[in-house]
Amino acid sequence: MVSAMTAPPALGAATADAEIIRRSLAEPEAFAVLFDRYSGMLYRYVSRRLGPEVAEDLVGETFLVAFSKRRRYDLEHADARPWLFGIVTRLVARHHRGEAARYRALRRSPVEERVECPADEVAALVTASASRPLLAEALAALPRRDRDVLLLVAWGDLSYAEVAQALGIPVGTVRSRLNRARRKVRAALGEVDPMSEEA
Amino acid sequence: MDDLKMLRDLGRDLEHEPPASLVRQRQRLADAASGRRGALRRPGGWTLLGVVAVVTAALILVPTVLLRGSERAPAGTQKIGKTAHRTLNLLVLGSDKRGFGAPRTDTMLLVHLPADRRNAKVVSLPRDLMVPIPACKKGGQVIPARASALLNSAYTLGGVQCAIKTVESVTGIRIDQTLTIDFGGFKDMVDALGGVEVTLPQSVNDSKSGLRLSAGRHFVKGKVALAYVRARHGLGDGSDLDRVKRQQRFLAALSRRARGQVFKDPAGVAAFARVAARSIDAVPRLGLTEYQDLARSLEHTDPGEVDYSTVPCGPSPKDPNRLALTPEAAEVFARFR
Repeated sequence: MVSAMTAPPALGAATADAEIIRRSLAEPEAFAVLFDRYSGMLYRYVSRRLGPEVAEDLVGETFLVAFSKRRRYDLEHADARPWLFGIVTRLVARHHRGEAARYRALRRSPVEERVECPADEVAALVTASASRPLLAEALAALPRRDRDVLLLVAWGDLSYAEVAQALGIPVGTVRSRLNRARRKVRAALGEVDPMSEEA
Repeated sequence: MDDLKMLRDLGRDLEHEPPASLVRQRQRLADAASGRRGALRRPGGWTLLGVVAVVTAALILVPTVLLRGSERAPAGTQKIGKTAHRTLNLLVLGSDKRGFGAPRTDTMLLVHLPADRRNAKVVSLPRDLMVPIPACKKGGQVIPARASALLNSAYTLGGVQCAIKTVESVTGIRIDQTLTIDFGGFKDMVDALGGVEVTLPQSVNDSKSGLRLSAGRHFVKGKVALAYVRARHGLGDGSDLDRVKRQQRFLAALSRRARGQVFKDPAGVAAFARVAARSIDAVPRLGLTEYQDLARSLEHTDPGEVDYSTVPCGPSPKDPNRLALTPEAAEVFARFR
């Protein structure tokens, strides 16, 4: 999901993020390469959690924060994504009330119906749309820390180790928060689980 | 069904693609990286929809209130039907004179009103667009053409006429009417009426807009009123749509207040009308009757039938911090003809 924006020629697409951050200590302008690489990805992530209006500004802020903290970046980590996701998560936390309201709004208005999908997907879609309000409700009700972990895994595509790095917590804590969050989500969905005979 | 898979599906439905305007954030970073200060954008810009709401409200409010003030229309404005019931292309410029230096237009909108006024098309032109600017005249002076410059520099360089000429040459659309709105005037309008009542379902403390209000009913004016219509965070669901609804509610309250005060506080209403009239600059000049005709013709336009979009554009090949129109833009402009 690397954005299509052009990168300065000196730093190629193969250059590791850590190398770009190291380079930016002497040449601050080099940091823009990270923006070109990850702004699209972070925008998409934030647009899911907070909507497109907040996303643009928040992504800009993320890179300003990252830039100001680049000296403290651990150059052992070649991939800067967990670090950037960590900053994003802290900024998203400021909007936690808006985020919960966004999910709650989904309970009332189902996300657009796609009528033109192939017949064999219809069944799955019906199930999905029926349980979507419950899923949204469960997300809205999750404690912020648990939700952060769950969404970094499900929407940010980070591994457990990367989530641990992003949030500065042990991997064991990532596991326990994720398990707790998923248990609550499953419990909320269980009420209309189409696989269960009683439903 | 797998909960993580369902969650991923939900995420995909909620996702939005990064807009071309994300380059502004790159510019923010570039400014910080080059140690430049003061070049940062102003916080809490006016939204596209907010501007349209303000224009519509102003179009309706100004004549209503002015007509209440003096029962007859001034002579020389009797060109009835000039603005009503024919296809109109409006260029709306949102200017902010409160800053330093020349007024800037942070907002540029093209509004297409078909003759039947059943719907409307609104296309925003981002201020970071790089476009050729034709030679313009200002105060008898000729400002030479530029091969490539920021769209909003046309207004700064050569005023409204230059902005019109530039937009017409870039889009191929004939502009019938230009409305320039000064947002500084908005606050004065509210103040002239002594404030407007708003109801908050929950308390708000938004550091970004500076809005701090407890839940319940409040009489707001001045900076608080401005913060209330501008705030994105802490009110409602934080969405732009929510803000627009709030702005529309506020404008409706403003309009009710203006009507209610006509008899109670004629001096205040007169001041309000003066500020409102002063905050909108029409080129060519609109007479009272024309204002009224235009406002009336929009009365039955369903807000749901207004199509809002941003002109197709992407990072400029010359400068990744700027925008350039993409070939698809021509299709959008064609719909205005």
